[in-house]
Amino acid sequence: MVVKRVPTYCYQCVSGPDLLYVMVEDGKPIGIEPNYDISDKHPARGRICAKAYGLIHKTYNPFRIKSPMRRTNPRKGIGEDPKWEEITWDEALDLVAAKLREARAKGLLDENGYPRLAVTLGEAGTPMGYYGSFNAFLAAWGPVDYSFGSGQGVKCYHSEHLYGEYWHRAFIVAADSQRTKLVLSFGHNDNATGGVNSIWKHMSAKDRGMKWIQFEPHMSVTAATADEWIPIRPKSDGAFMLAMMNVMLHEMDWRESTDVDFVKRMTNAPYLVGPDGFYVREKGSGKPLVWDPVEGRARAFDDDGIKDFALTGEYTVEGFEMGPDKETVREGEMRAKPVFELLREHVKPYTPEWASRITDVDPRTIRRITREFVESASIGATTEVEGLQLPLRPVAILTGRGVSNGWGAYLVVWARTVLSALVGALETPGGIVGATTRLNKPMHDRLATVRIGEDGFMAQSLNPTGKGLWRIDSKSRNFHRALSPLVLDSSWSQALGPSTIAWYFMDSPAQNWPRVTPPDIYMIFRGNPMVSFMDPDLIARDLSRMPFMVAFAFTIDETNWFADVLLPEASDLEGLQLFAIGGTSYMEQLWDYIGVALRQPAAVNRQVNSMDMTDISTELAARAGFLREYNEAINRGILGYPLKTPSYDFSLDPERKYSAEEIWDRVCRAATWTLSGGDEVHGLDWFKEHGFYLARFSRLNWYLHPLMVAKKLRYEVPYNERLYRVGRELERRLHEIGVHWWDTKLDEYTPFPVWEDPLDKWDEWVRELGEDPREYPFWMISTKAMPQLGSTTVANALLADVSRLIAGQRALLMNARVGRAMGLRDWDEVLVEAPTGKTARGFVQLREGVRPDVVVASGQLGNWLTPVAKDIKMININLLTKMSMTTLDGTGSTADLLRVRIRRVG
Amino acid sequence: MTHWAMVVEAYKCTGCQTCTTACKVENATPPGVYWRRVLDLEVGEYPNVRRVFLPTQCMHCEDPPCVSVCPTGASRRRDDGIVYIDYDVCAGCGLCALSCPYGARWLIKPYEFYYGEPTEYELNKFDRRMEGAASKCTFCMHRVDRAGETGKKPGVDPEVTPMCVNACPAGVLHFGDLDDPESEVSRILRSKKNFRLLEELRTKPSVYYVLEEEIVLPTEQVAAEP
Repeated sequence: MVVKRVPTYCYQCVSGPDLLYVMVEDGKPIGIEPNYDISDKHPARGRICAKAYGLIHKTYNPFRIKSPMRRTNPRKGIGEDPKWEEITWDEALDLVAAKLREARAKGLLDENGYPRLAVTLGEAGTPMGYYGSFNAFLAAWGPVDYSFGSGQGVKCYHSEHLYGEYWHRAFIVAADSQRTKLVLSFGHNDNATGGVNSIWKHMSAKDRGMKWIQFEPHMSVTAATADEWIPIRPKSDGAFMLAMMNVMLHEMDWRESTDVDFVKRMTNAPYLVGPDGFYVREKGSGKPLVWDPVEGRARAFDDDGIKDFALTGEYTVEGFEMGPDKETVREGEMRAKPVFELLREHVKPYTPEWASRITDVDPRTIRRITREFVESASIGATTEVEGLQLPLRPVAILTGRGVSNGWGAYLVVWARTVLSALVGALETPGGIVGATTRLNKPMHDRLATVRIGEDGFMAQSLNPTGKGLWRIDSKSRNFHRALSPLVLDSSWSQALGPSTIAWYFMDSPAQNWPRVTPPDIYMIFRGNPMVSFMDPDLIARDLSRMPFMVAFAFTIDETNWFADVLLPEASDLEGLQLFAIGGTSYMEQLWDYIGVALRQPAAVNRQVNSMDMTDISTELAARAGFLREYNEAINRGILGYPLKTPSYDFSLDPERKYSAEEIWDRVCRAATWTLSGGDEVHGLDWFKEHGFYLARFSRLNWYLHPLMVAKKLRYEVPYNERLYRVGRELERRLHEIGVHWWDTKLDEYTPFPVWEDPLDKWDEWVRELGEDPREYPFWMISTKAMPQLGSTTVANALLADVSRLIAGQRALLMNARVGRAMGLRDWDEVLVEAPTGKTARGFVQLREGVRPDVVVASGQLGNWLTPVAKDIKMININLLTKMSMTTLDGTGSTADLLRVRIRRVG
Repeated sequence: MTHWAMVVEAYKCTGCQTCTTACKVENATPPGVYWRRVLDLEVGEYPNVRRVFLPTQCMHCEDPPCVSVCPTGASRRRDDGIVYIDYDVCAGCGLCALSCPYGARWLIKPYEFYYGEPTEYELNKFDRRMEGAASKCTFCMHRVDRAGETGKKPGVDPEVTPMCVNACPAGVLHFGDLDDPESEVSRILRSKKNFRLLEELRTKPSVYYVLEEEIVLPTEQVAAEP
C-alpha cells in the first residue's frame, strides 16, 4: 500500500502555523508527521506541536455537528434546549442570506449608529488561518462590529499589545534568544504557549549557556526548565522591576550600569521637562529642548550642533510647556530637568528593601539579579548582522499574561521597556524585539509601520482626544475610539479595544453614555466566550438579547447553544486556504524566510456534511446580493495578495461565482509571483504537492534599531509626556459630558507609572461585593499547558488524554504544606467559594512549587456542554468571577485573578 | 552489531507531551495507555524545589525481566536490542507488566476508543491483535526496520526514526546505535554525564538520561490519578 504525504498546516494557536504531513494510505489518514522538507528553513527545524498531532482525532470527533441546524425553540438561555432541527445547506444559506438582505435593506447601521452585523473571531487571530475567504465577505459587507470579545483583555497580553506596540511596535515581545545570555521571565510561560519555535530556540540557547530566571507564584512548565525560580507574590512583578531601576540608577554608578550613548540618543532621557510635567519646547519650532553641557545651553533635541546631552542636573531655560489640547501652560524662563534626572528621582524610594516587602523576594536576590542583568548586557559590545555592525545586548525581560494584563500591567510593560532601553537591549541583537504588529498599519510589515512622527519619535496614530476631535462614535459597541486612544483604529482595534465593554454595557448601561443595542445579526467563528471570557451569566443575558445568531459550529458548545443557525464548516484538515508563514511573528518566530503555506483537504470526515469556509462565504455574499463587492475585495488582495497588479492579472470576474479551488488557485499564483519577484508562478496543484513556498527574509528585519538610527528616531521612553497629555484630554472630554465612571482608568496616564499594589484593586472589589477579603485567603491564578489550549482543543479526546498527565490540568494546584494542614490529600474534592457568591467543585493536587497563598487553576475548561470537555471536572476562574468596572485597568483589561476560599468536600 | 538506544536529555524537557501524543497517533494506542509519557515530578520542598519532567517508556533492557517471566515466549529481545511482544502469541496474563520495574507495559483488554464508539480512523488504524495482549513501546521498530530497504539511517533520517524522537520540540530525545561510536547517542553519552533508571536492578536499560542529578523513579507518583 502506498502512503501519500499530504502537506498542510496547523494554526490552533498563535504560535503556529506548524507545517505537517497527514500520512494517507488508501485514501485514509494513518498518521501525522512534521513536514521534514521545511526543517532546514524553520526556526524549530520543522517540529510541530502536540496539538497538531491531535488533528486526525479532531476531524473524526463523532460529536461534530453533522449538518446545518436551525433552532426551533425561540427562547434562549443556559437552561433552554434550542431544539435543533436538521436542515440542508441550501436552506441554511438561504435563511442566513435572508437575514443579511433584510439588514442591508434597513441600512448597514442601526438607528443608534451601530453596525447591524457583529462578528466574534475567537482565539487570538487564529481564525484567520481557518476562515478561508470569510474576511472578503466581511470586507464586502461594510461596517462590522468586532467588539464582542471571546477572551481578549483577559486571556491576552493586553497591555503588552497596546503599550508594546506604542513603544516599539511590539504587539508581542520576543527575546532574540539566538544571542541572549540572560532572560528574566516574569511569568512568561513560553513552554506552554510559545509553540515549538520558542521551545526549540530556548533549549538550543540553554545548551549554549543561556540562563533563564523565572519569577512567578507557581512553578509553571516554563519554570521547570529555568535555572532559577523566584516565587514572587502575584502581581508584584512591577515592584521588582522598579527596584532593579533603583539599584542601577542609585546603588550602581549609572554611567557604568547603563548604555549612556543609547540612553542619550535613542530615548527621551535627555529631554527637558518643566515644572508642570511637560516637555519644555523651543519657542517657534515647538521642538522639545535638551541641555548641551558642553555649550552650556538648551537646544532643540535634533539640533545638528549638539555636542552632548545632559542627563542629570537642573537648568534654567527659555521656552514653553504645551499641555492638553495644545494649551500653553507655561512660557518664558523656567527651571527644567532632563527626563533621566526625573527618572532617578522617581525610582529613588523603590529600594530593594521596599520591593522585598511587596514581592517576598530577598533584597540580596534583587541586587544580585540586577547586577547579573547589567553584566550580561555587555554594554559596548557589537555584533555583525548581515554585514551591519549592531549593538549586542544579550539580556531580555519577558512578561507573562497575568503580569501584562489588568491593573499593574502598564507599570510592568513600561518597566520592562525602560530597563531594556537603559542597557541598550531594546530592538538590538540579543535583547527584546517586537515579533508582531497588529494595531499599526501595515499589519504584516513591521518596519513599514515605523514612520517619522512628532518630537523625534515614531508617528503614533492614537485615537484623537483633543477638543473638537474626540467623539463617541458607534463604530463599535465597545467605543474603542472614545475610550482607548492606544488601541488605534485598525482591523484588530475593535477586538482589543476595551473588549470587556461591549458585553458589559449591553447588560448594564453606563451613565451619560449611549445605550448599547444588540446587533441584528451576530456571527461567531471558532470562539466560545461563555467559557473563555468571564462571567457566563452576563454573557448569557447578552446572547439572549441578540435576535439572530449564526455560529460556525464544530460541536455543540456553551455559546452556540444560543445560536439560531449552526453551520458546520469544513474543519482544520478538510478546508482549503493559503496562509502567511515566516517573517517575524508571535511568539518567538524570527525566520530567515517569508512565504505562504497551504491548508488542504487531507482527511475528511464523511459523516459530516460540512462546507468549505470559502464556499460558504461566496454563497452568502452571492445570496445576500453583494457578490461583486466580495470578488472585488479578493481582487484587491484581502486574501493576502492582490490578484491584479501592473505586472500580473489573476483577477476574478466580479460578477461570477467561483469555487474555493478556483479562488485559491489564483491566490497561489499571485503569492508566488510576488514572493519570487515574477520568477516563479505556482498554482494550487503545485501547492497541493509541495505545501509551502518561501523567499529569503533578512535578519535585519528582526530589529528596529537600524531603521530607528537611519530615521533619527527615538523610543518614547522613559517619559510618557504624550500619554500624560492624552489622559488629561480624555479626562476633560469625559467630564465635559458628565462621565466619571472611567476616572480610575485615567489615573494610568502618568508620565512615569507610580507603584500601587494591583491586589488592592481586587480587594476593593471584594469589599464592593460586601465581602471581607480576609475571608478569602487564596489568590486563584491560572496557567496553561501546550496540549490543550483554548476552546478549539478542549473537545479533542486525544489531547485531553495527554494533557491530564500535566500537573494542574485536571486539578487545582495548591501548596503541599498548606494543603496537608487543611487535611487535604492529592485528588481530594474541594469546594471553591468566591466573593461573587459563585462556587465550584474540583480536585486538588498538592505541589511544592506553589506559593502558600496561591491556588492555580487551568486557563480553560469548566465546560458543561462541549463534548469531552464537559466530562472533565476542572475549575475555570471565568465561571467564578464577574465583570466589574473596578477590576478593569486603564486599557479596559483585567487579569485572571480572584480571591477564593477552599473547603474540603465530604 | 547494532544496539538501538535512546538518550533523553531530560534537563531540556518541557513536559509538553508532544512525544506522548505523536506516539499515540503513530501506534494507535487506546486512551489511558501510554507507551511513553512524561512524568511531572518535583524534587525538594517549597521554596527550594525543582520541577522535573521525566520522559519514560520501555527501557529495552539488555536483561529484561519481562522476557524472562513471559510464560508463552511472546516477549522477546532482538539481537539489535529491541524488546517486543508477539501479539499473536501473547496470552495477556499480565506477568510481564507486574515484573517491569518501569511501569512500561500496558495490558489492552478490551481496546477502548477515544470517543466511545470507534471512529473511522481508529477502525482503520488500530492493531486488533493488541486486544487481549500486553503492549509497550517498540522503539517504533516498524519504522526502524525500514532502514534496510530505504538505505536510510535511524536516528538521522526521520522516516526510520521513532516518532517520539521526530516529534520532540525541545531536542530532548535522541535515537541511534550504541555500537556505532560516531552515532549521536554514542557522542552524547561520551560527552555528558548520564545515568539509567533503577540501575541497581541490573536490567541494563537501553535508555539513558542526561540530568543534573540522578532521579529516583517515584512509582507512587506515576499512578497518582483520580
